[in-house]
Amino acid sequence: MFKEIFLFELKYRFKRPATWAYFGILLVFGLIVAISGDVPASEKAYVNAPTTITRMLSIISIFGIMLASAIMGVPIYRDIEHKTENYYFSYPISEKGYILGRFLGSLCILFLVSLGFQIGLIIGFAIGPNAGFTEAERFITLNLWHYIQPTLLIYWTNFFFAGAIFFALVTMTKRIMLAYAGGAILFIGYLITLTLTQDIENKNLVSILDPFAFETFNNITRYWTPVEQNTQILPLTSALIWNRLLWVGIGLVAFLFTFFRFDFIKFLNKKFKTKKKHENLDASNPTAALTKLPKVSQVFSSGLSIKLLFDLAKMEFKNIIRDNFFRAILIAALAFLLFDAFFGFPIYGTPSLPLTYYMLEVKNFNYSILIFVLIVFMTGEVLHRERGVNYDQIFGSLPLKNRIVYASKFLALVMISFMLVNLVLLSGVLAQTLQGYFNYQFDMYFTDLYLIEFPKYITFILLAFFVHSIVTKKFMGHVIAIAIWALLFGINAFLKVDNNLYLYGYTPGYTVSDMNGFGHFGKALFWFKTYWLACGGVLLVIGYLFWKRGTDSGRKARWQLAKERLNLRTISTGILLLVVFIGSGAFINHNTKTINKYKNEEEGEIAQAAYEKTLSKYDKIAQPKVIDVKVNADLTPENRSARIKTTYLMVNKTNENIDSLHINWGAEGLLKKEVNTFTIEGKSPKLGNSYDDFGYEIYALDKPLKPNDTVTMVLDITGYYKGFPNEGTGSAIVYNGTFLNDNFFPSFGYNANAEMTSDLDRKKYGLPIKDYQLPEQDDPWGTSNLLFNDDADYITFEGTVSTAPDQIAVMPGYLQKEWEENGRRYFTYKMEGDLDFFYNISSANYNIHKDIWTGKNGEKVNIEIFHHPTHTYNIDRFVKGVKHSMDYFSENYGPYQYRQMRILEFPRYATFAQSFPNTVPFSESFGWVGDFSDPEDLDYVYTVTSHEVAHQWWGHQITPSATRGSNQVSESMAEYSSLMVMKKEYGIDAMQDFLKRELDNYLRGRANESKFEKTLLDNDTQAYVWYRKGGLILYALQDLIGEDNLNSGFKAYTEAARYRQKAPFTTTKEWYHYMNSVTPDSLKYYLEDSFEKITLYSNKISKASYKKLADDKYKVTITVESSKEYFDGLGKLLKTSEKPNLLDIGIFDNDIKNSNGMTIKSPLFIKKIWVKPGESTFTFTTDKLPVKAGIDPYNKMIDRIPDDNLISVEEETD
Amino acid sequence: MELQIKDLSKTYSNGVHALKNVSLNIPQGMFGLLGPNGAGKSSLMRTLATLQQADSGSIMLDDIDILKDKGRVREILGYLPQEFGVYPKISSYNMLNHIASLKGISNKDERKDLVESLLNKTNLWDVRNKSLGTYSGGMKQRFGIAQALIGEPKLIVVDEPTAGLDPAERVRFHNLLSEIGENTIVILSTHIVDDVSNLCNNMAIICLGEVVAQGKPSALIENVKGKVWKKTIDKSEIENYKQEMQVISTHLKSGDTVIHVLNDSQPDSSFEACEADLEDVYFAEISSRMDTALA
Repeated sequence: MFKEIFLFELKYRFKRPATWAYFGILLVFGLIVAISGDVPASEKAYVNAPTTITRMLSIISIFGIMLASAIMGVPIYRDIEHKTENYYFSYPISEKGYILGRFLGSLCILFLVSLGFQIGLIIGFAIGPNAGFTEAERFITLNLWHYIQPTLLIYWTNFFFAGAIFFALVTMTKRIMLAYAGGAILFIGYLITLTLTQDIENKNLVSILDPFAFETFNNITRYWTPVEQNTQILPLTSALIWNRLLWVGIGLVAFLFTFFRFDFIKFLNKKFKTKKKHENLDASNPTAALTKLPKVSQVFSSGLSIKLLFDLAKMEFKNIIRDNFFRAILIAALAFLLFDAFFGFPIYGTPSLPLTYYMLEVKNFNYSILIFVLIVFMTGEVLHRERGVNYDQIFGSLPLKNRIVYASKFLALVMISFMLVNLVLLSGVLAQTLQGYFNYQFDMYFTDLYLIEFPKYITFILLAFFVHSIVTKKFMGHVIAIAIWALLFGINAFLKVDNNLYLYGYTPGYTVSDMNGFGHFGKALFWFKTYWLACGGVLLVIGYLFWKRGTDSGRKARWQLAKERLNLRTISTGILLLVVFIGSGAFINHNTKTINKYKNEEEGEIAQAAYEKTLSKYDKIAQPKVIDVKVNADLTPENRSARIKTTYLMVNKTNENIDSLHINWGAEGLLKKEVNTFTIEGKSPKLGNSYDDFGYEIYALDKPLKPNDTVTMVLDITGYYKGFPNEGTGSAIVYNGTFLNDNFFPSFGYNANAEMTSDLDRKKYGLPIKDYQLPEQDDPWGTSNLLFNDDADYITFEGTVSTAPDQIAVMPGYLQKEWEENGRRYFTYKMEGDLDFFYNISSANYNIHKDIWTGKNGEKVNIEIFHHPTHTYNIDRFVKGVKHSMDYFSENYGPYQYRQMRILEFPRYATFAQSFPNTVPFSESFGWVGDFSDPEDLDYVYTVTSHEVAHQWWGHQITPSATRGSNQVSESMAEYSSLMVMKKEYGIDAMQDFLKRELDNYLRGRANESKFEKTLLDNDTQAYVWYRKGGLILYALQDLIGEDNLNSGFKAYTEAARYRQKAPFTTTKEWYHYMNSVTPDSLKYYLEDSFEKITLYSNKISKASYKKLADDKYKVTITVESSKEYFDGLGKLLKTSEKPNLLDIGIFDNDIKNSNGMTIKSPLFIKKIWVKPGESTFTFTTDKLPVKAGIDPYNKMIDRIPDDNLISVEEETD
Repeated sequence: MELQIKDLSKTYSNGVHALKNVSLNIPQGMFGLLGPNGAGKSSLMRTLATLQQADSGSIMLDDIDILKDKGRVREILGYLPQEFGVYPKISSYNMLNHIASLKGISNKDERKDLVESLLNKTNLWDVRNKSLGTYSGGMKQRFGIAQALIGEPKLIVVDEPTAGLDPAERVRFHNLLSEIGENTIVILSTHIVDDVSNLCNNMAIICLGEVVAQGKPSALIENVKGKVWKKTIDKSEIENYKQEMQVISTHLKSGDTVIHVLNDSQPDSSFEACEADLEDVYFAEISSRMDTALA
C-alpha cells in the first residue's frame, strides 16, 4: 500500500505547477548569485569556495522554512481541503501506509525541489568566469563534494527537521494555518538564538541549539582566513554533530509521533460533532413563513456612502483582527518588539538605557520583516475576503458604489497600519516601564510613528493593494507582491542601485537624537514620502480600474469594466496624483542630483579613479606648512551655516622653492562652501590651474617661497547646506550639536587617503595594486611629516567663536573671554603651547559638569564634561576615567601637557569618541546613556575615556610620522594604556572578558581581510590590528616582562620623542627599539613573534585529575597540548614552531564574587612555565581541593579556541 | 414592471459559449428558469445580478439598463446565489444587520425590526447567534433568502436554491418563496421541475445557452397534451426505441423501465396515453438537444 501512495504523491507533485515554480525560483536565484559572483565572502575568498557554498546553503535552508511548510504542510491537508477524506479513507489503505507514503513522497519532492539552488549555483559558477561581473580568477573549478557535503550535513537536514515539524503540526491539528504559524515560531526561535550570540559566552550553547546550525557553522568558521575558506570543508566538530543529532532527532520524533498516533476515525471525527449540536434547534414552525416584514426606508445618499465606507472598513478591520494567522504574527511581532527592546542596544555587551529613540529603533529590526509579510498577506486577505468565503456574489450585488467598497478595504488596512505603529508605542512604553525607566518622550514617539512610520506602512499597502487588485488569484498575488519587494531589495543590494527615487517606497535614513531631535531630516523625508505616496496613489487608481467585483475574471470583461470606471472622477484623481508624483520626483531629483551631486556607486568609483589618475602627479609635492592658526568663527546653528575666517601663518620647511599653492577643497559635498575672502600676503592670489571636478586649485605665488620663508594666508569661508541629499546626514552643522573639524577648510596638495583601496576595484579601473598607503619607516618624506595631517607639524592656536544665545561653543585652548553681543554668544579661546593640526569646533546647548584632578606634585587639571542637560547618568564614570588615567599616565609616561581636559557630547549621527588636544568629543549614544547597573558588564565609558585620554600622550605628545606602522604608536599604545588603567581598577578577571572580546574582534577581522594582514610594525590601515591585536600583545608583553619594566621603556621613549619639533619624526622602529631594550633575551622570541610576524597559539588542556594526599593536600596532574604556528598575511600556514614558550599554568578553586559583585577566578596556584610544543604533563600539589585547571587560563595569548584552555579537575580513580 | 432581456450573449474567456441570443420577457410574479446543469442558468442569473458583463444584448428593467446602470439595479435587487457563505465567526443576526445597513437601511430601529422579522420568518430565530458555518444546508438556504429579502427588492434572483435540500426543507423553502409579494419579479432558476410547477406562473426552459421554450406552465403543457405516450419495456430494448421515436424520458417503476415518448398520435397499441405534465414538457425540449441519460 505504501508504494502506491508514495508513487502517487510523487506523480501528483510532479504535475503541480507549484513544484516547478519553487524549483525554478531556487534555480534562478542560484544562477543570479553565481553568475554575478555577489556572494557573502571577502574579496580574497573564491566566490565558490567551499565555505562560501556552505554558508549560502545554510542561509537558503533558513528561508527554506517557507518551502518546507508549503510542501510538507499540504499532503495530508489536501484530503481535507478537497473533501476527499471521507471516501479516501474508506479505501483499503492502512493509516501507516498512508502517512508514510504521503510523508516520504513529499519529503522526496522537498529534497528534489531544494536542489534547484545547487543546480543553479553549479551552472552559474560555470558561466560566471565568462560573464564578467566578477573577475574570472575568483572562480575555482567544480568540486561536487563541496556541494554534497553541506547538502547532507546542513541543507537537507534542516529541510527534514522543518518539514517533519510542519507535517506533524498540520496532520495532528488539521489546521493548515499552523504550517504558517509554525513557520513564524521557528523563525522567531531562530532569531532569538541569533540575538543570544551577541553574548560571546553563550556561543557553545548556541552552536548546539541553533535549529539550522547556521551559528554552529559561523562559530566553526568565524576565524577562518580567506585561504582556509578556500580550501577547507566544514569539519565535523562535536557541537555540529550534537546539533544535527538533536534537531534531526526532534524532527524524527515529531514524525514518529504522528506516524503512530494518526487514526482515520479520529481524523474525521471532529466535523460531525459540531454539526450535530445545532440540528435539534431547527424545529419546524409552519407559520413562520407567514411573518410579515416591516416596512423600511432605504437611503442611498452620498452622506450615507461615507457612513457605509466607515462601517465597511470597521467590519473589514474586525475581520482582519479575527484572523488567527494575523493574531499569530501579531503576537510574534509584539514578542520581537519586547525582546529587541530588552536586548537590542548593547555596546561591548553592556546594555543601554531604554531611551525612547532606542525603543523606536526596535521597529526596524525583526518587527519590520513581520510587518511587511503581514501587510502583503493581509492585503491579499482583504481583497479576496468575500471570494474566499463565497460571499462575493451576495456582496457584489449589494447597492454599494465600487469606490466605497474599494476605499473601505484600503481604509481597513490603513487602520491596521495605525494599529501596528501604535503597537510600537505600546511595547516601547511597556519595555521602558518594566526596566524602571520613566522618561517617556511621547512627542518623539508620536512624530516618528505617526508622521514617518505610518506613511511607510501605507506605501507598503498601496503596492500590495495594487498587485492584489490586478491579480485575481490570491496566492499568485502574494508571490508577485513579495517578488517585487525581493526584486527591489536585490536591485538595491546586488546591483548597487541606491537612488531612493528609483526604489519604490525607499526613503532616506534618519536618526533621532536627544540632542538634535529629528534634526534636519524632515524635509527630505517629507518629499520622499509625498513622492511614494503619490506613486502608490496612482497605483491605487489603476488598481481600482481593474479591481474585480463580481464573478467575471475574463480579460475582456475586466477591460470593459475598466473603461466604464474610467470616468471624470478617476481620471482627474489619477492625473492629480500623477502630477504630484512627477512634480515631487522632479523636485527631489533637483535637490539630490543637481544641488547635492548624488552619484551612484559606480559613478563614485569612476570619479575616485579619475581623481587619482589626474592628480596623483601632485602627490608629496613640496607645500608650506602651517605653524599658527587664528580662527574667527560665526556659527548660525539656527539655519545650519557657519562663516569662519582663518588666518594661517605658514612656513616653507622644505629645501626647495615653492612657487605655487595647491588648495584641495575636495569634490563638492553636502556642505557647500563659498569663499568670501582669500588672500595671500594681503593680496588675492592668481588662479593657475584648476580641476573643478575634484575641487583642486593651484594658485601661483607672486614670488616663490624660499626655504624657511613665511607667508600669511587668510581664508574666509561661509559653509551651509542646501536642499537635501539622497542619503547621508550632513551633520557637521546642526541645530543643536554642531561638530566641525579642520576639514571644513581645504588641505594642501594631493590627498592619497582619498584613493580607492580595494585590490579588485583598483584592477578594474586600471590602477596599480597598492599594498600600503604609507611609505616605509625610513622614507624621507614619511619621516618629515606627521601621520594625522601633513599640512602642518605642530601649530599654535587661538580664536573666537560665536553661536546661538542658548548654546555653548567650544574650540581648542583655554577660555579667555565670554560675552554676548547682537544676540549672539561669543567665546575666545587660546591654546598654550603646541598642538597638532587637528582641532574641532563644537556648539550645543550644554550643561557643564566641573571637577579637578590634582597630581602628585600638586599640579591641577580642570575636568569639564559638556553634556546634554538630561544625560547625567554616567558623568561620574567619565570623571573617574579621566582622573585614573591622569594618575597612571603622568606617573608612567610623564606629565600631562595642558591644564584642562574636556569631554563633549555630540549627536549620535556617528558612534565614536575622538581625542583632540585637551578635548574629547564622545557620541551621544556612546556611553552617556549606557546602563552600567550590572557589575559584570564592561564599564566601557571608563575604558574608552581612558583610551582617549591616553591619546593626549600617544598621538598628541608623541606624534608619529607618516610612515607604516605609525598608527600602532598612537592606537595600540592608547589601547594598552587604557587596559592598564582598567586592570588597576577592575582587576585581571574583568580584563579576561574584555580581552576575549578583543581576541574575537581580531580573529574576525583577519578572517574578513580583503588584502592581507599586516604586522604591528608596518600596519597602516587595519584597525583590528592596531586596536585589537595591539592591545592583546602589549597586555601580554607587560604580563611577561613586568608592567613596571615595560613602562620604564615607554617612559624613556616618551622622553626621547615628545613634541619632537623637527623631522625625522618617530616611527615604529623607534618604538620597537625601546620595547626591545627592556625585554630580556630569553623573552625576545615573544616580541619577534608578535610584532614582526603573525603568530597564533593553540593551547588546550586535555586532562586534569587530582589525588588526595595523606596530609590534606592534593596532587594535581594535568596534560596540556600547545602549539604555535606562523602564518602569512593571507592566512596561509608558514611554519610550526618547535621552541618552548613561557605560558601560564593555573589551578583554581570555584569562582567567587569580589566586593563589586563581579565574578572572578580564585587561583590556588598559577605560574609561568616553559611549555614545549606538543603534549606535556605536569604535576603540582595544592592545599585545597582543585576545581579547575588550565593552560593560559586568562587567555593572554592569541588562540583561536580560547574556551578549551580551562577544564574541571576530576578525581583519580585507581 | 417588466424585465426585458434581448439578444443576450456571453462567451467566457475559456471559450464556453454560455448564452446565445437569449431573449426573455419576464413579468411580475414568480418566474421559473428551468434547465439542466450547465445550461447557462447561472450565467444569466449572475448577469441579472450585475456580477457579470455580457458581450452583447440588453437587459431592461422598465427604464433601468441592468448592464450599464448597475448601481440603480443593486438598489432594488435581492440575490441568492447558488453557492454562498459569509464572513467566518459572525453570527447570522449581525451579518443580516450588516447587510441591511449596506442595503441603505440606515435607521437602527427599523433595521432591528426587519432583521428580527426576517429571522422569525425564516425560522432562524433560535440560532440567530450562531455563525453560518454551523448551519445545515436548509438553514443556510433560509438565511440566503432572508438576506435577499432585505430592503423590499423589486427584483429577486434566486439561483438553484433547492439543490441538495431534503423534501421537507424544499417544502419550507417553497413556502418562503410563495410569500414574496405580488408586485415583485422573482426569477427562480432550477433544474427541478417541481419547483417551477409548484411556484411559478411564468417560465422558460433554457438549454445549452438558448431559450427553447417560454410561457405559462399550463400553456406549455397544453402544447404537448395528448402527444405523450408511455410504455413499459425491457431495458435492453431502449436503444431501439430511441432510434425509432422521440423518447423524452425513461423512468424506473418497481424495477421495470417505463419510457415516455412524444408523438402526435399513438405510436402503436402497446403505448398508452399519458397525462402530460411539466416534466414531459421539459424533457421534450431538452431531449431533442442533448443526450439525457435519465434513469
